[in-house]
Amino acid sequence: MQIRIVQQSFDPQAEVAAFAKGRDDAGALVSFVGTCRAATDGMDARELRIDHYPGFSEKEIARLAGEVSARFDCPDLLVVHRVGAILPGEAIVLVAALSTHRANAFDAVRVLMDYLKTDAPLWKKESGPQGGRWIEPRAEDHVRRAQAEKGMA
Amino acid sequence: MVRLVFLGKLGDVAPASLGEVSLPGEVRTLFDLKSWVARQQPLLGRAMEATPTRLILNQAVAHDLAAPIADGDEIAFLPPMSGG
Repeated sequence: MQIRIVQQSFDPQAEVAAFAKGRDDAGALVSFVGTCRAATDGMDARELRIDHYPGFSEKEIARLAGEVSARFDCPDLLVVHRVGAILPGEAIVLVAALSTHRANAFDAVRVLMDYLKTDAPLWKKESGPQGGRWIEPRAEDHVRRAQAEKGMA
Repeated sequence: MVRLVFLGKLGDVAPASLGEVSLPGEVRTLFDLKSWVARQQPLLGRAMEATPTRLILNQAVAHDLAAPIADGDEIAFLPPMSGG
């Protein structure tokens, strides 16, 4: 399991290639990349800023990834999360999973993303011509989180 | 002295002077601290009332606001999170 919080822009394709290099034992590689949109809910965003709490943020993301890893028997997870000032088009988050079969890898990536949306100690602020605003999880994010949790039973 | 960390929208309204503070003797628990911070900085107090705020004591989630605080502790105030 690899968890990294990075201050600079990163290349998701290069990260995934390095993660999967030499892993011919895995039959499935699934990855998701979340990128910074130019506009959200009709508001132009020129810049996104993500704050984190050094030490605690990494620890909590590792805890969430650990839960998902155990649940889907998918030990090989990669999370790269950007913090600081992010421009439209840049990658915010990469989640990838290697697994013997595809179902576990798909599920692990989807559920870990649902967890990160509501439970990762990160704070997003959008700034644009209309000013700045802090973003909080949307109702649908909480619904997805609850569904993901329920599936653990 | 204790170190206070305000994240997200709370960081926007918390003055830098609250980063390292000497607490009066009557501030013994996390609950006392939260109330003291709100009295010192009413704007910050209102921001904490308006949004669910979690407290982190020395990098561990504080489930009980009755937990005691001591010299050298670091306490973080976390508004709702938005990762991913």
